[in-house]
Amino acid sequence: MKLFVALIIMMLFTSCITKKDTPIETEQTWKGKGFTYYASGQLKPSRSGVGRYGDNYIYAPNIRFPLAYAPAYINSQVYGIGGQFGPKGSLCDQRNYQYPWKDNYCEKRGHTMPLCRGGKGHQGVDIRAKDCRNSKHYAVAVEEGVITYIGSYSVKLRGKSGRTYRYLHLNSRSLKVYRGQRVWRGQKIGLVSNNMGRTKTSIHLHFDIKQTVRVGGRSKQVYVPPYSSLIQAYKRLLKGRP
Amino acid sequence: MYRLLLFTIFFISSLSSESGILDIKWPKPNTQHQKPSTPYPSVLTKGINNTKLPVYIPNTYAYDKKMIVVADKNFYTISFLLKEATFMVAGDKTFQESIPTSNSEFQKMMKPSPLTFTQEEGIMSTDFNRHGVNYTLSVECEDPKIDKRCKEEKFLRNLYNRLIMVGGRA
Repeated sequence: MKLFVALIIMMLFTSCITKKDTPIETEQTWKGKGFTYYASGQLKPSRSGVGRYGDNYIYAPNIRFPLAYAPAYINSQVYGIGGQFGPKGSLCDQRNYQYPWKDNYCEKRGHTMPLCRGGKGHQGVDIRAKDCRNSKHYAVAVEEGVITYIGSYSVKLRGKSGRTYRYLHLNSRSLKVYRGQRVWRGQKIGLVSNNMGRTKTSIHLHFDIKQTVRVGGRSKQVYVPPYSSLIQAYKRLLKGRP
Repeated sequence: MYRLLLFTIFFISSLSSESGILDIKWPKPNTQHQKPSTPYPSVLTKGINNTKLPVYIPNTYAYDKKMIVVADKNFYTISFLLKEATFMVAGDKTFQESIPTSNSEFQKMMKPSPLTFTQEEGIMSTDFNRHGVNYTLSVECEDPKIDKRCKEEKFLRNLYNRLIMVGGRA
């Protein structure tokens, strides 16, 4: 028993003194369909920010994947090929439409984000659909709920769980829902596009999850990491049980 | 690898997917609930008829008959279609995650801080807690790059300062 305790203390001690700032490359594979993904919080490239590496907690368990069908690709719009800070090229470059997935929650942004290191970062993840075609691929409800809000380029779904899921950049003319409409899991919401009002963005779905956390007697609404929940959801989609 | 494993074990063990309803500290009668001289539009009164939390909206838009109300007993979202922008106010009394106070990361996050307005994805917004309920204000613009309502906090702060309680039942 003493030996075991000593071993644990040694492990803790070595983990504290070890100066390994760069996370280990942990590309993970998944049997079937060739789906691979980097670990949650492992941002690529590393200069794109510091994610919540090691936080594999599934904040929104059992949600449906927000795009109607696979394949889909989570990766950076800003640091990917053709992005503002990415290698030169086209946003539609095939390399942007490949596995492995790369988390981009907490990627460098000016947004206030309590769960990101430094208090700022990207509040959700960017998802590319199967290919670069504009307004061809449907985003769908991840949970049964009600559409609470539709703006110029955003749609909010409040699920039965109380979580609020936000879909950005859908083609506003393609929306299949209205404010106050009850929707079921998997119901079509709208087509993925580059809509950001009069300002255009790249063709992708920005998806985020806002939920309330309670600590002691206090509570706060925060954008929580969606990546692990989406990996779980995507695996179900690939298995044909979305 | 140890670090990853230990961090993950610690993190997961300190989270709980327990969900529920927040305790509301209702304001004293006649202090927050400002009775209107003329009745609010029916779209508002009917929309929040069953809402069991204090309902706030800015007095500026309290009589806007075109407001869109989506509400239930535990939440409300009211949006106002402005010229080339949409303003939203929402309140919610549910929680999805209960975290022990031993979790220093979340404990730190809960410390009172000044109201902050942030522009994310071109949308200006703020979150705050009042009476134990979580509220959100946001404004989304057709042209977020040039519209000052979405670039500067002044517009939203002004609306925040004009919030009045228009309903909600215990």
